[in-house]
Amino acid sequence: MSKRRKIITTEREDGYCIEFDAMASPCEVIIETSDRALANFVGKAISTEVWRIEDKYSRYNRQSLCSQINQSQGNPLAIDDETFALLNFADTCYQLSDGVFDITSGVLRKVWTFDCSSNLPSPLAVANVMKNVGWHKVKYNQTQIILPADMEIDLGGIGKEYAVDRAILLITSLTQQPVLVNLGGDLATNSPRKNGQPWQVGVEHPGFVNKKKMVVSLFKGALATSGDAKRFLLKNDHRYSHILNAKTGWPIENAPRSVTVSAPQCIQAGILATLSQMQGEHAETFLEEQEIKHWAIR
Amino acid sequence: MQLINDDNEMKKTVNKANLKAALTLATTALLGSVQVAAATTSVEPTEDSWSFDSAFLYYSEANRVSAAEAVFNANKIYSDDSILNVKLTIDALTGASANGAVAQPKVQTFTRPSGKGDYDIKPGDTPLDDTFHDTRVQLNGQWTQALAQNYTGSAGGHISKEYDYLSLGVNGNIAYDFNKKNSIASFGLSHFQDTFTPEGGLPKPFASMTAAYHDDGDESSHDATRMGSDDDKTTTDIMVGFTQVINRNMVTQLNYSYSVVDGYLTDPFKILSLLDSNGIAQDYLYENRPDKRTKQSVFAQTKYHFDETILDVSYRYMWDDWEIDSHTVDTRFYIPLGNGSYLEPHLRFYQQAAAEFYQPFLMQGDALPEFASADYRIGEMTAYTVGLKYGMKLADGNDLSFRLEYYRQDPKSAGQKSPGVLANMEIYERIDAIIAQVSYSF
Repeated sequence: MSKRRKIITTEREDGYCIEFDAMASPCEVIIETSDRALANFVGKAISTEVWRIEDKYSRYNRQSLCSQINQSQGNPLAIDDETFALLNFADTCYQLSDGVFDITSGVLRKVWTFDCSSNLPSPLAVANVMKNVGWHKVKYNQTQIILPADMEIDLGGIGKEYAVDRAILLITSLTQQPVLVNLGGDLATNSPRKNGQPWQVGVEHPGFVNKKKMVVSLFKGALATSGDAKRFLLKNDHRYSHILNAKTGWPIENAPRSVTVSAPQCIQAGILATLSQMQGEHAETFLEEQEIKHWAIR
Repeated sequence: MQLINDDNEMKKTVNKANLKAALTLATTALLGSVQVAAATTSVEPTEDSWSFDSAFLYYSEANRVSAAEAVFNANKIYSDDSILNVKLTIDALTGASANGAVAQPKVQTFTRPSGKGDYDIKPGDTPLDDTFHDTRVQLNGQWTQALAQNYTGSAGGHISKEYDYLSLGVNGNIAYDFNKKNSIASFGLSHFQDTFTPEGGLPKPFASMTAAYHDDGDESSHDATRMGSDDDKTTTDIMVGFTQVINRNMVTQLNYSYSVVDGYLTDPFKILSLLDSNGIAQDYLYENRPDKRTKQSVFAQTKYHFDETILDVSYRYMWDDWEIDSHTVDTRFYIPLGNGSYLEPHLRFYQQAAAEFYQPFLMQGDALPEFASADYRIGEMTAYTVGLKYGMKLADGNDLSFRLEYYRQDPKSAGQKSPGVLANMEIYERIDAIIAQVSYSF
């Protein structure tokens, strides 16, 4: 793991680019400055912060707080302010989506494998796993959480976007130079570029083989993308997206393959992209009604 | 211990109509709740938050006035998008300026504005007063901030001091954006209070220029033509504006302004030649202008962003109750050259009608008008500017630019017949000027 943890600084026409890997994604920080030391300093601070969040909340890391919660077997486990704030945010998303978005829905992976095949789980298998899904069964407060045994939480749906926003907060305390933070396609910027022009951002569409990068202009704020063209199931001409409805345990039907949303903060953009996909065929209408700037691909 | 669950106050019911608002609230709670755990405890920002522009401009009219101007502009943008702007301008003016009298076939002698000393003008030359030199220091401060959602307010102050001039001003502006920020309506007010203390005092209207006195000489005849040492004027402007984003490439702006200037508007250094029927100057009389001027103008500007280049075209029509109507067409074309450098050609055309009381000279035997001035600046004229700017990005990311422009002004006859000897004199002399500017932003 430590081998992976290095940053590479390269000079660009308008400043410096710092690259590193985190949260299973290529990450980059672009800073418009002529001061290499400043660029390095900012890059180091951001990568350290992103890795800190990864270590704390990754469900793949057995030492993480998230894993400890998932292994708590129904016993109360102490949490800190940051975790409490994240759980509160997840709770709001659960409420807003009427339970369709649920950080306890990760256990559905046991029956759903989106490998482009036609292997649908049996309704009984899904119903069995659904016993262990349901945010309303979780009890938590400012100091502790009680997660019933056999349930799991997964902050993967908001963790990367949260890290982007934390990085921007961190930048604000370090420099006023224009900086763009891009964590595997979820990105945000602290200010427009020095020439007054917007940042030109190439948005990747995961899984689209022949799709060119879509270029989006971003003056300020954040972008997040939800969707993966490679992760679906196909049976009887029916396409099941990998977005699961936590209320039913079944995939959302007729969702766009990819939705990119722009919002002041990345975590907002991310949740709006996810919530819109949960509207299925009404995804675009949902975003339009909310007057949210977005780019959807079907 | 009472643990919190979905039945108590922690899990609020969310109104879906306010999804965005609810999310914003939740985001603020999330991102604002925990202190940023900076990896390193002490951080020395190596660059501060101010940005600066400096410019040096040189303006030179052939055989006449030249001006050097240094501008220092500082901007600070705060985290809430408020902007503080402070601008210091220092300019120095030297050289000769037309005093209003017409050229003559013989040498003419004029008394300097102070009354002390005189200067001679060669036959056939346009009379220029070469005592013209002044240094002006100007300080402007402007604060801009959001007042409420969609409303931006701005307020500023202005102070400008010359040897014989003091100008104080305040301004306020409010802008309202709507239609997803594609439309902006603005309303502005400004007020200036100027005090003028010219060298040698204020001449009485149409007083005859007396012969100069010298070192121990008698000042009384000069003093007899004076009506005080200082006077003031106020200027009040009202401006309404509308800016509309037409599409991705095009933005248009429309402004209307109404301006009232009240007070001493005469130029105490300007005179008129009093001619006999042969066109020979018999006397020089100090000019006199009305003490009020009401100006209105409309301004339209469009910027069009082609794939790489940007075209900026504007037109202004100005009219006032002195009957000085003017048209200005201004065009700039921005051409990027790569690596942050660019070229920007500039073309400007200006045309102005003469003030109602403008006349190049007075005739003996004619009744003295209520107001008269021979100042070429309020006469009929056309003017052109042709220029080129080159800007570049330096290795350290700062901007450097150079501008070179040629300005030509052609005063025209407002229709007066030139009597006698004046037929062979150049009354409406052309003015050529060069403008050079260097700007540096850091």
